[in-house]
Amino acid sequence: MQELAKIYGETLLLDKKFSYCPGCGHGIVTRLVAEAIEAFGIRKRTVSVVGIGCGGFSHHYMEIDAIEAMHGRAPAVAVGYKIAKPENIVYTYQGDGDCSAIGLAELLHTANRGIPVTCFMINNNLFGMTGGQMSPATLEGQVTSTTPKGRDVHQHGYPLRVPEMMADMRGAKYVAREAVYDAKSIRKAASSVRKALDCQMKGLGFSFVEFIVPCPTGLRLSVSDSYKWNKEKMVEYFKPQVFKNEMEQNDEN
Amino acid sequence: MVVRRNVIRYSLAVDEKKRSNLKTIASESYMKSETLFLKNAQTFAEAMVRCGVRYHFAYPITPATEVMKHTSVILPQYGGRMVQMESELAVANALAGCACTGTLGATSTSGPGMSLMQETISYMAGGELPCIMLDAMRVGPGDGDIVGAQSNYFQATRGGGHGDYRVIVLAPASGQEIVDIMPEAVKLAYTYRTPVLFVIDGVTCTMTESANFPEPHDYASEFDTSSWAFTGTGDHPKRYLLTGSYTHSQGEELNNHLLAKYERIKEEEQRWEEIQVDDADVVLVAFGIHGRMGQDLVSNMRADGKKVGLIRPISLWPFPDKAFEKLPESVKSMLVVEMNHGQMLDDVRLAVNGRLPVHFLGKTGGDMPLCTLAEMTAKINTLL
Repeated sequence: MQELAKIYGETLLLDKKFSYCPGCGHGIVTRLVAEAIEAFGIRKRTVSVVGIGCGGFSHHYMEIDAIEAMHGRAPAVAVGYKIAKPENIVYTYQGDGDCSAIGLAELLHTANRGIPVTCFMINNNLFGMTGGQMSPATLEGQVTSTTPKGRDVHQHGYPLRVPEMMADMRGAKYVAREAVYDAKSIRKAASSVRKALDCQMKGLGFSFVEFIVPCPTGLRLSVSDSYKWNKEKMVEYFKPQVFKNEMEQNDEN
Repeated sequence: MVVRRNVIRYSLAVDEKKRSNLKTIASESYMKSETLFLKNAQTFAEAMVRCGVRYHFAYPITPATEVMKHTSVILPQYGGRMVQMESELAVANALAGCACTGTLGATSTSGPGMSLMQETISYMAGGELPCIMLDAMRVGPGDGDIVGAQSNYFQATRGGGHGDYRVIVLAPASGQEIVDIMPEAVKLAYTYRTPVLFVIDGVTCTMTESANFPEPHDYASEFDTSSWAFTGTGDHPKRYLLTGSYTHSQGEELNNHLLAKYERIKEEEQRWEEIQVDDADVVLVAFGIHGRMGQDLVSNMRADGKKVGLIRPISLWPFPDKAFEKLPESVKSMLVVEMNHGQMLDDVRLAVNGRLPVHFLGKTGGDMPLCTLAEMTAKINTLL
């Protein structure tokens, strides 16, 4: 492990046993976040505010201070933290249930407020920790343990696209949606993680990245099928793109 | 060459040098020992800022709004700020985030806002995060009414949130007592690492009166938070705030640790005022505005030769059981008066434990939301 630490640095705790299920997309995103923290050299002043759900485990694999917030409230905790200690880097790591169901108000107001904090929303389109219930991001017709006949949009509404709502908010300076279904998409996602943190480090404003990830357990699919499903179904509705990058908007030659 | 201009950079806090200059300016020219004639909600704002609160998170709600209006003016003079959030849910959680840095924050609210904060108060109690809170109590339940009440006694002292937790609850009865008790509140918050909740009936909160303020003193900064604050791993190994159970044994350990702390608080932090209980026939028990009226009631009735005493709880949790342990033989009965339908009444009965009859007089809501001195006197006359 010490040999690996030489390669990966001190942020990622490589000897920690994972609580993520085999094939879970969280593992990829957690590593991307840890690598970005390591690359920027901000580990000692970075604090993770994690939500309730599988994403709450993410900080256990990193040598950084962490706050486990109440369900959905991580962005508000991050705002209070950043106001009292602006020199630190604070990011939230939340699932789609935490972000877009119970915590949508806090997330959107934090985006609009524009205080430089970063929110990472890991969208596996269901409530993973509680065993695969419908979340706001569950696709139309998708079977979950609470939509046994598939999501009926007339009863449950439509799958909720979150970063689209932030596009018009002037406080939000970097807003993107990424996926992690293959090496190319992972590289793009890594770039967005770095930009989101950089946006905060430069004090420009709020930054947000949504990650489309598979939950093989919740989807009741094999790992490879869950990634395939992710690439074919999820990404069709939740299109990866950079919605907003105002980090350099006022630069001129 | 790349020239960067017009990029808005959010200046989140005044830099340290500027902050210390501001503190000096504030303490030397603007803030000094003085008497101010203020609404008691404003007095609360002044008192907490002068004792070291630098960040006040709030959402407008009557009658607590006066506090945030006042802090939005005075906090910048101390290098702090009032932060208006989008809801009381966000308020309480931003306060928790602030507390995680070891910084003293505060909030103020009323009735429904207090209910919304309950989850996070439980969280902060479990996470041992210090803060100052005010519930400017108004009539409930539901949306309730904006007139003053004391109907959040149960919520404050039992914990409206989930789990086995308590917060220290203080009930000053005047503007002066708010000022006098604030340094203690800050010390309690840091000594025991707990939220300290002021419950002040809306009548007292909206009353305007004089209060003498001593020179400002930042009590909060006297406490070393480096052993627990989540300030980054620069000077400590990884820390994380976990109020749930990563393992089942952690949950049990947390609860046992909290229990031991609460036992210590119960033993050491009971506060009350006692007037002429030593030879009393009847003892009035009341807090807040009714406790204050009780001071007049005792002197009026004593002037008529009637032996009435007063116990005015100042800490509602821990409830001042000790005041009831050695009541003199002369006491025949007790009367509890509240701006509710009998909440502290339960604690008095538990403290007396059946040794004496405990009577009750109370009301809540209406154009006259509290019992008059005449009604209290008449009730006591029936007990003498």
